[in-house]
Amino acid sequence: MLFFKRGRVPGARSWELKTGLGKEYLKVLAQLDEALKDLDLEVKKVESQTLSDYKPGPDGEEEMRYFVRLKGTLTPKEARMTGWRIDNLAALAACMSLIVSKQGKSERKELEQIIGEKVGRWRALTLTDAFLRSGYLEEDEEGLMKIGWRTRAELDLESLMMLIAESKPRGAIVEEEPGEVAEATEPLEVEGPAETVEAELEDQASTDG
Amino acid sequence: MSGRRELEELIQTCVSIENRQFNPFLLDISEALRIIRRHAGSWKTLGDNLLDMRAITSLARVVGLQSANLRFQSSSLFVDPGMVKQKVESMSREQLAGFLLLSWHPVVELEQLTEASTKEALDYWQKMLSFFERRKRLQPGPFDSPGAMDTPELARLRVLEEKAFGRRLEDLRREMKEKVGEEGRVDYWTFVRASNFAATVLRAQMVSFLVSYGMAMLERKKEKMWLTPRDPPFSTGQGSPLSLPIPIPMEAVVPRAK
Repeated sequence: MLFFKRGRVPGARSWELKTGLGKEYLKVLAQLDEALKDLDLEVKKVESQTLSDYKPGPDGEEEMRYFVRLKGTLTPKEARMTGWRIDNLAALAACMSLIVSKQGKSERKELEQIIGEKVGRWRALTLTDAFLRSGYLEEDEEGLMKIGWRTRAELDLESLMMLIAESKPRGAIVEEEPGEVAEATEPLEVEGPAETVEAELEDQASTDG
Repeated sequence: MSGRRELEELIQTCVSIENRQFNPFLLDISEALRIIRRHAGSWKTLGDNLLDMRAITSLARVVGLQSANLRFQSSSLFVDPGMVKQKVESMSREQLAGFLLLSWHPVVELEQLTEASTKEALDYWQKMLSFFERRKRLQPGPFDSPGAMDTPELARLRVLEEKAFGRRLEDLRREMKEKVGEEGRVDYWTFVRASNFAATVLRAQMVSFLVSYGMAMLERKKEKMWLTPRDPPFSTGQGSPLSLPIPIPMEAVVPRAK
């Protein structure tokens, strides 16, 4: 139930699990979580109010959605297998850090601007749409962008904010033309916990062209 | 200033705050309440009282936002938006992507056929009537036999163009030549913009052919783009070697109302 995607959103709602596994479904989930550790996976619980597809359970109890996600993190080499380019990852990081700093909501224009500075205006437009489609972002009734269900399920926002807050600018971005981003002109100095990741990403960037 | 006007302005400010345009603490709640109280006695009509109610509820929402703001500031997720922007701007793409990877735990999603769903699909397929059976139920009548169409009819259906493509390009180049100013060039959007979105897209497409065929030149400097018509003889060698994607926002056709 947790692994297979049924419909648009993966995972299962608490009432679905209760129906399938019985009242003691939480114990089953705890056992599953334990068993998944060996595969570097874990069961992640996401609160109902943060999910766009929220519907109260049949008995009115508070609704949760459970997902299975990677317990650890991906190395850049592994991240390549997801089909995501560095641009996409950088844009998502910029997007999320801005939204979190603005308490979970931001104007689309502002997001496109901050992404555009990294990957160019044209890609910023397409990436924002892609993030909306995949559930990393959601648009509320006032047209403001907010954090989507996938971000709640997949991203450790506290860690991301901490890394960004503690970061020091390294490497210069040279803009040849507005809207077009040039590659870093000199090798990036490497320090801190993101050392290996960044070094591998530089390598990936050069192969991405 | 009239009481109504003051309250409407107050509501507008509250709405802007709700839309994250201003910091909620920019609004002095006690001063706002004083304004509401000052006019409370003079309201007579239902409309006045409804306005009063809207002002109070808007103010309550701002107080709610202030409270949420304080809670957020005391949490570990609080970082000043200005500082975040500055940091993000100064970081390289590799750094940002690296930080995301260190905080990313992708969800496992599997898509697979199950025995039950395969059985269901097979059952559906076997029970489905043939195309001709289903067609009979809709009673569309006999199939139309193939017929012939003449060129004006095809042009009416937009299958064929009435004018040859080359002729249309030449007409457009001449139009561009008429519109260029003393500088010998015309602003891209001034030239491409038409009365509606579809016509604008069509003109943009035609202009892209003019540039590719070397019949016009496209210059880009920062946000501005200019078109310069060229005179014959044209050669494809004169065409632009670069591919330049130009998004066409709706604002390009309908200027945003201020």
